Amino acid sequence: MGLLRKLALAAAGLMLSAGAVAAQTTVKWLHIEQNPAQVKIWEEAARRYEAKNPGVKVEMQFLENEAYKAKLPTILQSKDRPHILYSWAGGVLKTQVEAGVLEDITAGVGSLKDNISAAALEAFTVDGKIYGLPFNVSQVGFMYNKDLFAKAGVEGDKIKTWDQFLDAVKKLKAAGVTPIVVGGGDKWPLHFYWTHLAVRLGGKPAFEAALKGQNGGFEGETFIKSGELMKQLVDLEPFQTGFLGFKNQQALGFFGDGKAAMNLAISHHSATQRALAADKKGIPEDKLGWIDFPMPAGAKGQPTDTLGGVNGWLITKGAPKEALDFVKYFVSDEVQRELAKQNFLIPTYKGAEAALSAAFMQNVARNIAASKYHQNFYDQDLGPSVGRVVNDATAEIAGGSMTPKQAAKAIQDAFKQGN
Amino acid sequence: MSDVLTAPHSRPIDLVPLYKALFLMVVAAFVAVPLLATVLGGFKTLGELRTNPFGLPTTWEWENYAGILLSQRYWQLLWNSTVISILTVVLTLIVASMAAFVFAHIKFYGSEMLLSYLTMGLLFPAATAILPLFIKVRDLGLLDSYFGVILPQVAFSLAMSILLLRRFFKDLPHELLEAALVDGCSYIDFFRYVTLPLSRPILATVGTIAFVHSWNSYLLPLVMLNSDALYPWPLGIMVYQGEYSSEWHLILAFITLTILPTVLIFIFAQKHIVAGLTAGAVKG
Amino acid sequence: MAMVRRRKAIDGRLSALLLFLPPALLLFTIFVVLPIVEAAWYSGFNWNGFGTPTKWIGLDNYWFVFDSRGFGTAFRNNLLIIAVSLVIQLPLALSLALILAERFRGSVALRMLFFLPYVLAEIATGLIFSFIYDGNYGLLASIFRAFGAEAPHLLASTQTSMLAILIVVVWKYFGFHMMLFIAALQGMDKNLVEAARIDGASRMQVLRHIVVPLLYPTIRLSIFFAVVGSLQLFDLVMPLTRGGPADSSNTMVSFLYNNGVSRMRVGYGSAIGVILFVICVTFAFTYKRWFMRDE
Repeated sequence: MGLLRKLALAAAGLMLSAGAVAAQTTVKWLHIEQNPAQVKIWEEAARRYEAKNPGVKVEMQFLENEAYKAKLPTILQSKDRPHILYSWAGGVLKTQVEAGVLEDITAGVGSLKDNISAAALEAFTVDGKIYGLPFNVSQVGFMYNKDLFAKAGVEGDKIKTWDQFLDAVKKLKAAGVTPIVVGGGDKWPLHFYWTHLAVRLGGKPAFEAALKGQNGGFEGETFIKSGELMKQLVDLEPFQTGFLGFKNQQALGFFGDGKAAMNLAISHHSATQRALAADKKGIPEDKLGWIDFPMPAGAKGQPTDTLGGVNGWLITKGAPKEALDFVKYFVSDEVQRELAKQNFLIPTYKGAEAALSAAFMQNVARNIAASKYHQNFYDQDLGPSVGRVVNDATAEIAGGSMTPKQAAKAIQDAFKQGN
Repeated sequence: MSDVLTAPHSRPIDLVPLYKALFLMVVAAFVAVPLLATVLGGFKTLGELRTNPFGLPTTWEWENYAGILLSQRYWQLLWNSTVISILTVVLTLIVASMAAFVFAHIKFYGSEMLLSYLTMGLLFPAATAILPLFIKVRDLGLLDSYFGVILPQVAFSLAMSILLLRRFFKDLPHELLEAALVDGCSYIDFFRYVTLPLSRPILATVGTIAFVHSWNSYLLPLVMLNSDALYPWPLGIMVYQGEYSSEWHLILAFITLTILPTVLIFIFAQKHIVAGLTAGAVKG
Repeated sequence: MAMVRRRKAIDGRLSALLLFLPPALLLFTIFVVLPIVEAAWYSGFNWNGFGTPTKWIGLDNYWFVFDSRGFGTAFRNNLLIIAVSLVIQLPLALSLALILAERFRGSVALRMLFFLPYVLAEIATGLIFSFIYDGNYGLLASIFRAFGAEAPHLLASTQTSMLAILIVVVWKYFGFHMMLFIAALQGMDKNLVEAARIDGASRMQVLRHIVVPLLYPTIRLSIFFAVVGSLQLFDLVMPLTRGGPADSSNTMVSFLYNNGVSRMRVGYGSAIGVILFVICVTFAFTYKRWFMRDE
């Protein structure tokens, strides 16, 4: 077998060796950022880093979000895996750590540790060891189009409860406005509804109990209720026609084109919708509003609780030390401020958030800072297989092919199977 | 067969040919319209796709196509596909014809058994064992290399190829082999200098099948390849679509340019391709 | 002398055997047979592919598969594809073959046109049709708008996603079956038909009682390919719907990909693979035994 392998490798090597000759270190960096304006800044940062570190080349590879998630498990098993990977932390990260494909970078991070938001760094810490560096935190909430709200006579900043929210949807519909656009084809944009309802209804205790299998686990009251409330919304037919076939990027473009009033978005999508709009301008800053996810009646969670993500860079096992070095540069004050200035993200480098220029993002940054329970996205937090079932099941609620009970059962079953 | 359906009776008006022509036209439209819309769509602007879906473009947007043709990415995809397909074809032909030769001409204990062992490959698609296959390719260190795709492709095409080749080899005049052996020619030389040159048609057929399958294949490269520098075009086009999601005019141009080689080859080698693909099916 | 020659022949045979057979056997064993055997082994584990499998869970993965709604839907979808292949595609292909087997101006061109979709990659076909079906820019939407109706999003509804895929299946594969029939028709003994016509049989009678019965072997073959093709269908589904929305248009293979491969659930995915394998092999054997005995 050894011979076959050698032959194959030699032949493959021959064919590949066309370009790479120079004796330099190449850092392979795999990202999923779709906004060209932001990628441009990243690229410039990479070029600056290269200039400061002769002999190092930073090579960027892009994969579209869903394709990335589907591909990641196989990518990680490859010997030639990229050195820097995009991550949402959570259970998925844990699985990767257990699989032994990530580099423990605790020592390498050094003093930078003290300059990074503790909560964000905590997300990338497993068993006391650091495996990645966060560069962005986000909150899930409704971004809305102020013009369309005005047209339907809805006041966005008055919406605090679930019922008020449902009323707003009805009013928008009556005014001939598509109330909500959602990228249902990707499923996870739909799972935000179910998850955020659960965060509101049960707060941190409910989630922790479910993880321990108490109160019926994910089949418990909180989660069935989440499904029922979600169903309430779905029954109003609030989404754009064909929403189950839309990818999230299409949905953001749709919102950016002003064709729908709301989108349950991740905060940094406020910038992405601009890039994906047909005119590349999208909804301007002053027309863009934000509603924190409304509180349903009888909710046990705190209004300050947030659902959102922490995004960071992982270093894979066997990566050259320059990979970490570059990531450290990427989360440094300089680059973080630059990205914050254009409101592409909520930075994790302490103090860099002062550079945020849009009121919209400043507000989100305050929300996250005030939050005592910041729930990571379920589809990441619950690990690769259970998380995907949450997405599947919530998409089925939205499509009407599963009842809230069935959906909760499917999730709990997956959780029990644990594979 | 030529006159089975033509009416000999002299009725005043025979409507049958008319129905037939109508039927053919409907089916032809069903097949051709999506293809034409794709090619023409690549020449339109995004807006025009909506306003003028069926007509010729009002202004021909050559830059959609030019942009792709001038991009390194397009040629990289075609290059990868070409390398993978050609190596698959060459390896399939070598390995399968050698084995087929043995099964056709050399009687040995267990030959029947071995042949049925190999033809088991006809019974199930690669997809059934894709995960263990992935693990296997990974353990061999072939992930993310051309050969991680090529070797499994060759392995899965062996069954059909060996059957087709063996049948052909067997039909070659047996006296040739007898005479050659008497003259002291070895089996190997006979294979090299007599069998192969005489078998060009069947080699072309088998090669065509292997080529078309490899050129179009998606699942194996999808699972085995990670870096876009190695992607064959079906993977590349999916990535392209992911990136440009709704900019259909660009996607259509890209589709057109990637299926163009297939269509050209098909037009020039239609006899071989039709014969190959249907013969492969029938005789398998 | 004869002895020497004989010895030499045996030596030659042996060296040919030892040189010619191992590559095929090796490749086939490593990449085809072992994986399917290993699939059976892995399917007993809960394993994410890293290291070696250690968490033995017996037959649980199979229960998980049978228990999931998604797999049931996928299985039904495969049956649906088979049904459409038999009820729509086959008659379509057969009637076209009957017309196009004759030579007239344009008949060869039409044959080629109809065969062309079969040569195109499934991925390209899927993308072409995802454009045709696109609710905003697609051809179908334009047709609906022309009549003042609201454009449907075929791929985005659990009700219609499968229908949309079925149309593409027919579009892509009918030409192949047509070619099978044309090849058979051209190889048919013309004298039989002639004789029947001379005996005064009508066109339809000849068709029903002579031509079609003579085509039975080809029809059986065509059915065989339709079923096997359906069981493998994957590439076409990915660009169109990825199996969605809400898993409504998965085939068994896309279900395997979505739930096994892209989540690296090696055990679970292997179990699906084994089930698929058993279905394929059982079908192939029974079909060959019952319907294709004489071939």
